[in-house]
Amino acid sequence: MVGWSFGKRQQRSRLGNCRNQTTTMLKSISRAVSIASRLTNKTATASATRTVEPLVRSALCLPNSAPIRPYTRSIWMMCNNGAVSGYRPKLFSSKGALPSSCGCGGLHTEGDKAFGEFLNDEIKEEKKIQKNKTLPKMSGGWELELNGTEAKLIKSLSGEKVTVTFNVNNSIPPNVEDEPEQGQKSAENEPEIVSTPNFVVEVTKSSAKQALVFDCHFPEDEQVAHGEGEEESDIFTIREVSFQPAGDTDWKETSYTLNTDSLDWALYDHLMDFLADRGVDNTFADELTELSTALEHKEYITFLEELDGFVKCN
Amino acid sequence: MGVVIRNLQHVVPVRRARLRKDVETLRHILGIQKFDVGLICVDNCKMQRINNIYRKKNTPTDVLSFPFYEDLRPGKLPCGLHRDELNLGDVFLGVEYVMQQCKGTSQDFHSTLTVVTAHGICHLLGYRHETDEEWKEMFQRESYILAEFNRLTGSRLEPLSKKYSQES
Repeated sequence: MVGWSFGKRQQRSRLGNCRNQTTTMLKSISRAVSIASRLTNKTATASATRTVEPLVRSALCLPNSAPIRPYTRSIWMMCNNGAVSGYRPKLFSSKGALPSSCGCGGLHTEGDKAFGEFLNDEIKEEKKIQKNKTLPKMSGGWELELNGTEAKLIKSLSGEKVTVTFNVNNSIPPNVEDEPEQGQKSAENEPEIVSTPNFVVEVTKSSAKQALVFDCHFPEDEQVAHGEGEEESDIFTIREVSFQPAGDTDWKETSYTLNTDSLDWALYDHLMDFLADRGVDNTFADELTELSTALEHKEYITFLEELDGFVKCN
Repeated sequence: MGVVIRNLQHVVPVRRARLRKDVETLRHILGIQKFDVGLICVDNCKMQRINNIYRKKNTPTDVLSFPFYEDLRPGKLPCGLHRDELNLGDVFLGVEYVMQQCKGTSQDFHSTLTVVTAHGICHLLGYRHETDEEWKEMFQRESYILAEFNRLTGSRLEPLSKKYSQES
């Protein structure tokens, strides 16, 4: 099977390194915000929107219990006896640990118990708002292969093999928008979380020893305003193009990589038409984001379930 | 300086290279090679929204032009410009609308799109069709452009026969 290490691919070009690192960094920040928003979202709505809330809350209150400070506090505070409030959970004290009767050998604290209960609720909420219980199908005869967070879409046509690879990790762009009005945060105004992963298209002809590889991105359009603003970017763009040995999993760094930033526009249009002829067009791009969003959500729920199991008993 | 093409829709498959090639020929005929032009392909939904916002008409249409220079005398190019000012504006192409029209008349989509684009570029150059006189002037200009286009490419394009009522 033709393929390359996806992580390796993202580090390949001189210009790509800077952009990818910045992009990766931005996406890591966005991931942190997204995770925080999911973990603090208590809104049960029929829509697939999630609240984007501050990373740190001032207090969390469980029903019928004393206020519990958020777990983002420093260890110094948790071990310090100088108290503002009376509650002071001990991290490294046997008093905070519950008797471990399960025999798993793991630590069980009151915090773990609360964490587990919290995760239970989160999992239920996320499953309620899960848009697609099964992954949406792509039109155009694409065969889907999954390997955790990595997906491959494969198609053969007239002796050519087209493979599209993407990874849902770090695929949700940061949602930069104006501050919401004070006290006005209705469910209708919550941004919808959409996964727009970079994707790599490999086209291999049966007679050729090389594959033509396209690195494609969804533009993060900063011109989109709320209300009357109009998007004026292509639905997806080609960032880089390169020939790579077919059947080889290692990225060949010495192959010339065409960067489209300063490319002749006519050549760019021919490349886009080339992809469109092979089924990678705007329809495909839209369907890919739907598939990626559903896969990302599914993986997130699975992660929460595994985390729940790990916290309770490993 | 060149033509920026953006395809914001997925209803109609648009051949970008073909559109660019035809528009480059139009630019050559009009003598506007040094000016930037933007072409944005949109579907009926987006076209309707733009038409409503800017012309208060809540319907899709085939083309909407947004000239950079709003007070040009028809066909008179601005001169003495700084490099940053060599921009004629943007033309929004309602490709879904055009495709629907072509299905009704059995015309070739991309050829019709070229005709519509020529019309849109004429609007960027100050041509209007709000009065009969303006429409006649614009029709004559379009006819000349398309005749020259046909001569250079061997095509058989004709101006669209209906009277446009859109403003640019």
